[in-house]
Amino acid sequence: MISVIETRSVIVEYPSIRGVLRLYDQGVSLKVDQGDFLAVLGGSGWGKSTLVNVVLGLERPIRGSVSFRDHDVTRESFVKRCGLVKTAAVFQRPTALPQMTVSQNLHLALSLAGVPRKERDERIKEALAFFGLDKIERSYPDGLSAGQRRRIDLARALAVKPELLVIDEPTGDLDGSATNLLIPLLRGLNRNQGTTIFMTTALPRQASQAKHQVHLRPPTYLAPENRMIGD
Amino acid sequence: MEKPSWTPIVLSGAIPREATDLLAILVMGIVALEASLATIGPAAFNSRIWLSLLVVPPTCALASVSTTTRRTREELALFAYGGSSWQILLRYFFRGAIIALVAFSPIILQVFLATTSLFELIVPVIVLFLAGGLFYSLPSLRRLQSSSFVENYKS
Repeated sequence: MISVIETRSVIVEYPSIRGVLRLYDQGVSLKVDQGDFLAVLGGSGWGKSTLVNVVLGLERPIRGSVSFRDHDVTRESFVKRCGLVKTAAVFQRPTALPQMTVSQNLHLALSLAGVPRKERDERIKEALAFFGLDKIERSYPDGLSAGQRRRIDLARALAVKPELLVIDEPTGDLDGSATNLLIPLLRGLNRNQGTTIFMTTALPRQASQAKHQVHLRPPTYLAPENRMIGD
Repeated sequence: MEKPSWTPIVLSGAIPREATDLLAILVMGIVALEASLATIGPAAFNSRIWLSLLVVPPTCALASVSTTTRRTREELALFAYGGSSWQILLRYFFRGAIIALVAFSPIILQVFLATTSLFELIVPVIVLFLAGGLFYSLPSLRRLQSSSFVENYKS
């Protein structure tokens, strides 16, 4: 079976005050097959968000490679990757456009994803209702709580009906009831619509809901002579 | 696979709509008005236009830089929605070009009414369009190429 995502021996390094910070010392190698639901589990500062960025093409590893459907995309942008696998991403920090209303944000995302105009209204209505955003659809993101803005991102990503959903710490900023709804929703998406899910989390209980898990290790600090940056 | 549409990202952000955009129009408009009302002869007229054009790059760059925080959020959102760097830059390029053209419209109108040569009208318009667009989009290009840009996605 061709993997939707495959990373081979990915290592990322950052310069830091304590020396060179190396994430994934032994390299991260993982495979996400079509219809898979993978959870990447790790503590704070262990490189979960960085791995999301590497998978999406927003950051480049120092070593290793990333493939989408057997195409090496290590040097390719997020847009190019989306051309190979229709991908939606939800980041840790809310990303809704501040000058557009909740509903307009969803419209923009769907039009960028090439969803036909007549389908957009229906999909947006469904997504807003599901995440309890229908009453604030004409509000601007800046006036909303962090949890509400998080839900806008989730609604936007799911309304696109992606083949691959990349989601960084999905329940951050969400209250208890929304958290309880979200993981079953992701499982339902994965099971019923075959959406491939790549999720990061710091919570072992959440990770256990996925089909597979990958555990990250804590980062290491290297002496300058061992660094790979600039090789 | 559905064909992604690229036009919404450009069209939704090409129209100047923020206070700093209007300020830039105002600053350039004052200069342009002064130039158009000045009682100078035709020989000196063209040199006056070119002198006025000097105000375009710094004013457009200022308008763009003064809202960096907000613009960074826009850029992060557009990336998350599947936009590309080029689409984002084009969005700001058009906005900068529109600001410069609107601001210099008194001069453009005056040249249009006074000149018999199309060349004399088109060259300053093209320069305005390019300078406004380029200098408005440059701060964004610098941000997008910065290695720290994607750190904003992390909390």
